Amino acid sequence: MAVPRPIATRYARSGDVRIAYQVVGQGPFDLVFVPGFISNLDLHWEDEGYSRLLSRLSTFSRLILFDKRGTGLSDRVDTNALPSLETRMDDVRAVMDAAGSSRAAILGASEGAPMAILFAATYPERTRSLVLYAGYAHFHKWVMDPARLQGFIDAAETCWGTGATLQNFAPGRLDDIRFATWWARFERLSASPTAAAALARMNAEIDVRGVLGSIRAPTLLIHRRNDVRVAPDASRYLARKIPDARLAEISGRDHPIWTGDVNRVADLIEEFLTGTHAPPDTERVLAALLVTRVSDTARLGDRMWSERSLRFQETLRLLVGRHGGRIVDQYGDVVVSRFDGPARAIRCAAALRDAAQGIGIASAQGVHVGEIEARGPPSGLTVRVAIKIAEHAGRGSILASRLVSEIATGSGLHFVDAGHLPLDDLDGPLALVEATSEQHLEPACRSRTPASVEPSALTARENEVVALIADGKSNAAIAIELSLSEHTVKRHVANILTKLDLPSRAAAAAFAVRQTGPDGP
Amino acid sequence: MLATKEAVTGASIKKAIESRDGPMLSSFYADDALVRVIDRNNPPSKPREIHGRAAITTFWDDICSRAMSHRVDLTIAQGDNLAFSQDCAYPDGTKVFCAAMLELKDGKIARQTVVQAWDE
Repeated sequence: MAVPRPIATRYARSGDVRIAYQVVGQGPFDLVFVPGFISNLDLHWEDEGYSRLLSRLSTFSRLILFDKRGTGLSDRVDTNALPSLETRMDDVRAVMDAAGSSRAAILGASEGAPMAILFAATYPERTRSLVLYAGYAHFHKWVMDPARLQGFIDAAETCWGTGATLQNFAPGRLDDIRFATWWARFERLSASPTAAAALARMNAEIDVRGVLGSIRAPTLLIHRRNDVRVAPDASRYLARKIPDARLAEISGRDHPIWTGDVNRVADLIEEFLTGTHAPPDTERVLAALLVTRVSDTARLGDRMWSERSLRFQETLRLLVGRHGGRIVDQYGDVVVSRFDGPARAIRCAAALRDAAQGIGIASAQGVHVGEIEARGPPSGLTVRVAIKIAEHAGRGSILASRLVSEIATGSGLHFVDAGHLPLDDLDGPLALVEATSEQHLEPACRSRTPASVEPSALTARENEVVALIADGKSNAAIAIELSLSEHTVKRHVANILTKLDLPSRAAAAAFAVRQTGPDGP
Repeated sequence: MLATKEAVTGASIKKAIESRDGPMLSSFYADDALVRVIDRNNPPSKPREIHGRAAITTFWDDICSRAMSHRVDLTIAQGDNLAFSQDCAYPDGTKVFCAAMLELKDGKIARQTVVQAWDE
């Protein structure tokens, strides 16, 4: 977790309401960040993505942050007399006055965008330029219709504070336990259930379509093409209506501005506001990441699982160290290790797979190579991609991005194509390969004649699959029978052929028949 | 536009800064001047650089638009070099301190390095 920066929080007075704000950096011009639905000035610095975004913006501006009335550290609103968008927009002016900002670039994200639009239309002389991220002009048209809004409010009333709204905003981070935990705190520390419902109702009234044509400030619009919360058409509409606005559509599905490829968003904003690119970040290094996932939790009893898991963790530490890597992160049954080169990561993965088999549990592993922060636990795109690859890997398999196989050329490792993995953060699907390198990783003297292979070399699941292959069933039929995806079945078949050193399904079927005899397996 | 004939001296810089006179400040620079800013977010190995008088004009317009007080305390001149320190405060009480080193060429600022620190 990022270390929170000690930023002073101050309070501006907007009418009778106190608005909490922070000022970060001392760049030549002011940049006011108008956040979306909920916010909490203190908590933002505890999330890696949020902290990175704010730090990036504050390198080239004097960044002024605030919590809108009703959320975070600012005063709550009277839920029986909800303030108008004009009143809330005036909070921006009050904060700017308090911070001594006569003119600023305004960055509005999500629900912050219509507020920023209204500010730019009302105070053109105080708006240096306008950046709208995942913005919209009319809530019901581009975010939620009244029925869906009511569903959202009902859900918020019952499970606010548990992080349950994450699926509405960043489904790509649902499996990221650390982020999901942060999100639940973000809900609790930003608003009570009543305040959250009030904020949602206030946002539902947003309609600033009438003022778009009067905006004179240079405007940049940024929208992720598959944004789950606000349809990209919302920004396309803004681009048509705001004079000379520029629209940058970027890849991604998660909605919050501090999730997904934060650097890309920061690059676009910096280039628009300063006319130059960010200097290259020298604090990043190239590294290979291995994500090891162990499964079988359901099949084994709790106690047996716990014993085997402990044994595997010990072995893992040993093997990662032996292959020149180090464990950099761990949560649940997922371990992230970092290596200097991909070949080492793949060799370690193969050793881990064998060790897991020996212990009686199954591993699934993913390897990816890319830039990560030189210091601290790795975070960001490279890690997320590595985790996704590991999630995609079947039992006992080692999947890697094709880049890994290209960099590992000459290492003696062998790979076969393993299809493509669609990833929201990337422009196109990621090409995958599967490592098939036993013959180079196992002792040279080990006999590989099929006669020496016992059915016990296969996991229980693989034995089930091989028996169904012997019955002449297709992958699709096997998938239905075992309640697995067809992709997983394909993985099992590939593993079976690899383990038994057999060339085809037919050979696997023949093997199964040879092994089972008249009484079955 | 305000007069641009004023010579670049410690006194004229102090007057322009303390009165937040952006056009006057911009007129002090050579067309191809370079301003470098070094601070905690822009370390010495990659300072923020502002090239040319047009960009420098925008720079000073932005800074002078802020409702803040500036006080130039100390000015030291030596040949074509000039240095001064500056105390600034925003209305909410946060302070900024800057030290600036200037190289003059043909009576205009050709190169300026600003080192700054601030309350956060």
